[in-house]
Amino acid sequence: MSASHQIEARLRETVEKLLREKKVSLFLGFEKASLPFRTTPLFLTKTQEVERLAWNPFCTANLSVYLPRLFQAPADARAAKAAPPPPTVGVALKGCDARSVVALLQERQLPRENLVLLGIACPGMVDRRKAEKALGEHEALGAGEDGRGNIRVVVDDGTEITLRREDVVADACLECRSPAPAIHDILLGTPVEGKKTETARLRTAEFESRPLEARWAGFQEVVARCIRCNACRQACPMCYCKTCIFDQTRPRWIGAGTNISDVAIYHLVRAFHLAGRCTECGACERACPMGIDVRLLGRKLSAEVEDLYGYRPGEAIEATPVLSSFAMDDPQDFVTEP
Amino acid sequence: MQSEARPEKGWEPRILAFLCNWCSYAGADLAGVSRIQYPPNLRIIRVPCSGRINPFFLLRGLQNGADGVLVSGCHPGDCHYISGNLAARRKFALVQELLKYAGIEPERVQFTWVSASEGGRFAAIVEKVVEQIQKLGPNKKLVKSYER
Repeated sequence: MSASHQIEARLRETVEKLLREKKVSLFLGFEKASLPFRTTPLFLTKTQEVERLAWNPFCTANLSVYLPRLFQAPADARAAKAAPPPPTVGVALKGCDARSVVALLQERQLPRENLVLLGIACPGMVDRRKAEKALGEHEALGAGEDGRGNIRVVVDDGTEITLRREDVVADACLECRSPAPAIHDILLGTPVEGKKTETARLRTAEFESRPLEARWAGFQEVVARCIRCNACRQACPMCYCKTCIFDQTRPRWIGAGTNISDVAIYHLVRAFHLAGRCTECGACERACPMGIDVRLLGRKLSAEVEDLYGYRPGEAIEATPVLSSFAMDDPQDFVTEP
Repeated sequence: MQSEARPEKGWEPRILAFLCNWCSYAGADLAGVSRIQYPPNLRIIRVPCSGRINPFFLLRGLQNGADGVLVSGCHPGDCHYISGNLAARRKFALVQELLKYAGIEPERVQFTWVSASEGGRFAAIVEKVVEQIQKLGPNKKLVKSYER
């Protein structure tokens, strides 16, 4: 029996108990999807349906993205009177998702007392695109985990192929340095604490070592393929603003089309808006229909925030967000002197 | 500042300058009152504080045809609003790293501190910035072309 099967059984038990004892009125988890390598988010309210809950190597989505809108404040006093009391929500969280919840709590977007956080030890989730690429000509009919944590795939000619997990795991998981949920009320499985990986740093350093024009060309590759569908923004748990400058039309801050200048500005602004806030879950990358390296700029900003201010988002609820604070002796060697 | 076709020859950089009301704008004024000569390439926008400046303003300036952007506020510790420039300093440090990383010349976007008594410093900085941008040539990377 694979590790994820054991966790799945315990997950169902735990959630059934939470719902039965009315500790939560809603549970956010994953459900098996109709296609291999995929799961869909599941909003569970009934104990009878607990069997629909799934836990496997394909639970990639960051469910914390749904949380802020469940707790949105009523528009005015009259709406507040009519509004039902805020729900109590249970949610399944991997390490990255837990970081997002910490960051949301830090920014006071969620009421902690209404949350039951179910942390799950995550060995890294499978990137669907990588898995499909690894299969080459074959089409997957079904996929699961074997006893050693590798991915077993049944393909169209009826044979089974085993893919090594580290070959098909998502980029964000390869770069992940804290797979253990930073915050949780209940913990399933035994997470790896403080994983050491320099993958993100190496990628950033490689890009940075290119000459200026080559970096611009690299950035233009992102820009040229972007279709401005805003999927990266929608998938991001930290993009919860009710009004977004990319949507506003009076004034229209940035053109909505695919003019290369507008697209470049979109990516720069989005990256900067997440500077010191991005919890590096990779949701934007997964959401991108064009397979763009959406986190190209974000990786750099995360590294810079850590180097300059020693800050990593999503670690502590009490910490002041890095761009809301300052120190008298912050580095300022970028300042122009006559 | 809408971008229009302009000949390379005889080109003069147009630089957008965001100056804070309490120090840098007064510093620029002092440079003028003291009759200190400096290149006339700036288009100055007065803002209440350097903390008021959203990095988006800088990008928007470049998109609309500015060849460079200069941001100036009070020296750290001298902010009229106590800490506006300190909060801004973190943003500016990151913005400059971000633009450099994305392949935009770091000289296009510059930050500095000028106090109300530093008319000479203001003129010297403008001279330096204009010279650097003159060397770079017109901004072509982020300028929006409306034809396409």
